[in-house]
Amino acid sequence: MKVLFEKVDSKEEEQAVIKAVEVTDEISGAIELLEGDAKSFAVSKDGKVYIIKASAVYYIESVDKKTFVYTKAGCYDTKYRLYELEVMLDGYFMRCSKSMIVNLKKVRNVKSQMSGRIDATLLNDETVVISRGYVKEVKRRLGIG
Amino acid sequence: MNKLKLWLEQTMMISFAILVGIILEGLAYCLLGGAPLASFSLTWLQLLSVVLTGALCSIPTLIWLQDKEYTKKQFLVSIILHCLGLYVIVSLFGLVFKWYTQIDGFVMMTIIFFMVYVFVWLVTLWFHKREDNRINEALDEIRDEE
Repeated sequence: MKVLFEKVDSKEEEQAVIKAVEVTDEISGAIELLEGDAKSFAVSKDGKVYIIKASAVYYIESVDKKTFVYTKAGCYDTKYRLYELEVMLDGYFMRCSKSMIVNLKKVRNVKSQMSGRIDATLLNDETVVISRGYVKEVKRRLGIG
Repeated sequence: MNKLKLWLEQTMMISFAILVGIILEGLAYCLLGGAPLASFSLTWLQLLSVVLTGALCSIPTLIWLQDKEYTKKQFLVSIILHCLGLYVIVSLFGLVFKWYTQIDGFVMMTIIFFMVYVFVWLVTLWFHKREDNRINEALDEIRDEE
């Protein structure tokens, strides 16, 4: 495949265009790498350690100083603190309340409540709360703020 | 900092809503009472009283309408306390700054207060709905397929 590189002046101008006949495994890998989905980190469950891809994570919650990672396959715990994961998992992972990070790519829809908070329904039908104070950052990450 | 920002935002919004209320009341007096529209005027003291009332009315919002999880019952109690808190403040300021001097003026102010209160809620809900739609459209663009 012919690869072209063009230098740009700012981060905002950065983009990658892949022209191909079909999406092969190599191209999927390249897309994941470019989108930052190739990040992975260690979690544990029932004494076993697993490496999970960031793209599999729905949300991460901190309860009683322990950090829990929720995926479609289940709940894991991790040694990382919430603020460490917030730095590691940039992009569409963002803090939605003091004790939670949500993967915006796993949010099916959001709905404001009368009390001002926003309920976000995830692809696994779970609902997490986005505090009003974080809405501006959600919009910024989605490119509408 | 967020509290200060929220307080300032609320002060501006409530001051504007009270000002609209006073203008509506003035218009009603002119139109129903047959007085000429030119006779309706606002003094700097009245405008100052509106801003002071707005600033004070923001405090119940900070106390009772926090960004936290409420049960339906808790939320209903918060709304009632919030509404009554604002009503007491507006009534007292109205008395002190002579927005009304007689019972008919007080009744008119009460009607306008509740109209403005409901109107502000409806506008807020409409803004939230519009914001939800924008966020949902943006989420459609990035959502993972499962």
